[in-house]
Amino acid sequence: MTPPLPPTKPAPSTRASAPVYGLVGNPNCGKSTLFNALTGLKQKVGNYPGVTVERKIGTAYTQHGQPLTLIDLPGTYSLAARSPDEAVTRDVLLGRRTDTAMPDRIVCVVDATNLERNLYLVHQILDLGRPVILVLNMIDVAEELGMRIDTARLEQLLGIPVIACAASSGRGVIELKLTLSRSDLPLSRHAWGVPAAIAPAVSELQASLQENDGKPPLIARAEALLLLTDRDSVRVAGSTALAPRTQEILSSWEKRWAAAGTDWAAELVNARYDSIGKLTAEVVGQDSATPVGPSVSDRIDAWVTHPVWGWAIFGTIMAAMFLSIFTLAGIPMGWIESLMGALSTWVSGLIPAGDLHDLVIDGAIAGVQGVIIFLPQIIILFFFIGLLESTGYMARAAFIMDRMMSRVGLNGRSFIPLLGSYACAIPGIMATRTIEQPKDRLVTILVAPFMSCSARLPVYLLLIAAMVPTSEVPLGTKVGLMLLMYSLGTFGAFGFAWFFKKTLLRSAPPLMIMELPPYRLPGVRDVAQQMAERAGIFVKRAGTVILGLSIVLWFLATYPKAPEGTPKEQALAHSFAGQAGHALEPVIAPLGFDWRIGIGLINSFAAREVFNSAMSVIFAVETSDDEEADAGHLRDALQAAVRTDGSKLFTPLVCLNLMVFYVFAMQCLSTVAVVKRETNSWRWPLFQLGYMTGFAWGLCLVIYQVGRVLGY
Amino acid sequence: MHTDSRLQRPRMTLTEMPTGAAGRIHALNGAVEVCQRLREMGFCESAVVQKISGQSTLLCQVCGMRVALGEGVAQHITVEVIRGAA
Repeated sequence: MTPPLPPTKPAPSTRASAPVYGLVGNPNCGKSTLFNALTGLKQKVGNYPGVTVERKIGTAYTQHGQPLTLIDLPGTYSLAARSPDEAVTRDVLLGRRTDTAMPDRIVCVVDATNLERNLYLVHQILDLGRPVILVLNMIDVAEELGMRIDTARLEQLLGIPVIACAASSGRGVIELKLTLSRSDLPLSRHAWGVPAAIAPAVSELQASLQENDGKPPLIARAEALLLLTDRDSVRVAGSTALAPRTQEILSSWEKRWAAAGTDWAAELVNARYDSIGKLTAEVVGQDSATPVGPSVSDRIDAWVTHPVWGWAIFGTIMAAMFLSIFTLAGIPMGWIESLMGALSTWVSGLIPAGDLHDLVIDGAIAGVQGVIIFLPQIIILFFFIGLLESTGYMARAAFIMDRMMSRVGLNGRSFIPLLGSYACAIPGIMATRTIEQPKDRLVTILVAPFMSCSARLPVYLLLIAAMVPTSEVPLGTKVGLMLLMYSLGTFGAFGFAWFFKKTLLRSAPPLMIMELPPYRLPGVRDVAQQMAERAGIFVKRAGTVILGLSIVLWFLATYPKAPEGTPKEQALAHSFAGQAGHALEPVIAPLGFDWRIGIGLINSFAAREVFNSAMSVIFAVETSDDEEADAGHLRDALQAAVRTDGSKLFTPLVCLNLMVFYVFAMQCLSTVAVVKRETNSWRWPLFQLGYMTGFAWGLCLVIYQVGRVLGY
Repeated sequence: MHTDSRLQRPRMTLTEMPTGAAGRIHALNGAVEVCQRLREMGFCESAVVQKISGQSTLLCQVCGMRVALGEGVAQHITVEVIRGAA
């Protein structure tokens, strides 16, 4: 019982020259690897406006050198979208997004080893009535497993080109390019039986969607099917609500079915799977010669997901990752430092001494250096994250952490963003877009900045050095204090997540359904490309937002100018920043901080590590080329600093308190900006700023006052 | 549907099924949304699911893929055990 497909125009493209292809597939089907293989470095990465879902558009070339546009759409199991990124895939395919061209043709990538499940999405896509190319990716793995897939037969049954491919080794990519270049692509002949009880509803809804919602016929049919697959019609409709008439038809059918005890959604899904089952029965064969036993993946999983060994392996990987971030990064960080130093010497020679000179050297260059210096750490972190993702381990880590995360009301999926936040909250927060429930996503965003990011590291190191009277900090003390700070932040994140799930963002615990992809050897090219991409985004940010902020801060710390000859420290006190520090003093004095620390706190809103450079300006530390000596000078200067009554300013208690403050306070404008973009309102970033900094203040107040009573 | 009603196989939730055993999905009875997603991912009635490991969060094999299922999901899946723990 299939309503006949209305006649279609060959392709809804208006650009006769370059067709736009949409690339779709399930998560973990190797779609991104294929996209990279087809487009190489000709990619544009941006965001879909309004949602922070990455938009990847690339250019591939036909055999005749004609450019083709490819849109890499977020992976999804179904067009009945659940999370923000899945909704993007649905909306682009249905031509609902004004910012992205509706693809004229669709490339469906499926995992050949798991044809049945992967064909479900293909089945939905075929309903759209556009030319489709089916790519059976990972055919090499399927063959190793002894599967024989009759592509010719599948092609015949579906009526569309089917290409066997192994994107990781490049097999089949040429054939795919040839097919992409074809000017004529057939429409699928595949028809499937909508269950008899539901078919009339599909036709009626389709008619209403055409008439009342102004949808083209084929899109109307696809949307009618989606409305019946997902019971949340508001979610299916997306930004434009359904016409009242369409909604009415839907409700009346739903009532009728409910009365008859028909589970219409289940029937639709089962009907699709029945039709897929018939297809796969004809095309997939299993070599009986291949031994069927536990696969390599099974054997690895026996260890990795083991209740005891799983944790040990997880702990080792995490330790290796952080160790590399903190040690390996030192070398390239030194290079960046000397490079920036050379740049500033060179610029110094070009500009005569004066305000412009100071603005460029102390404002722009120093400010950008303070941030760009973390580039190696970010690259190493993304190397590890890319490696963990591309081997398939990341999903196992989320599996292991699920139990712990469920205690605070989140699930394992939230763990990945939190892990990323140890390097920097910005990519961490951006990674929350795979979380399905909006409230859970928001909770994860709200607590992510508690994870001690790499920008806090220099601050901790300086304060630990200032805290210990000897010039060499004993390794035990250093590691102990570091661990304390990292665990404080981690517990803070978990504690507040629990609290928010109980109060403000109360919702049922999220249900965990997550596919664990088979283990694979890491795709070097993919990992490298991802690292390059992230580094690019980071550098771009340093060159724009951070550059601007640094200039503003320099201005605030320089103007109004004190009379000529005033010592540096007093000149600073005179400036806007100094005045702000003084204004802030009454608020922070109960925490043991004075106005000079206040300036540091204000300045470090640009980036936390700016605290260190602010301290060297304030305490008039002479800087030289010897970095280690500089650090030593700064430490001595901090230890020598006194309050107006002559008592020591940086007592161990104050140092500790300041570290605790940096653990909890939201001292990062870039994070505020990202949260604003992610949540699409100022409400949540401002709330986050308030609660985090408020909590930090309260906690530090308690620590300082109790510490004082105890005699520290 | 391939359920064979002549054979009385023990029915239990996926949470109760012992590790290593395999079962045929008999019914999904959780929230509509969750059932929908499960079906779309291959957890249809009559699909065979094998429990690999896990205590609260389960690791299962269904339809040739490996899926992590939270307790809240697994307790709503009723299975007929077709093969005991190996």
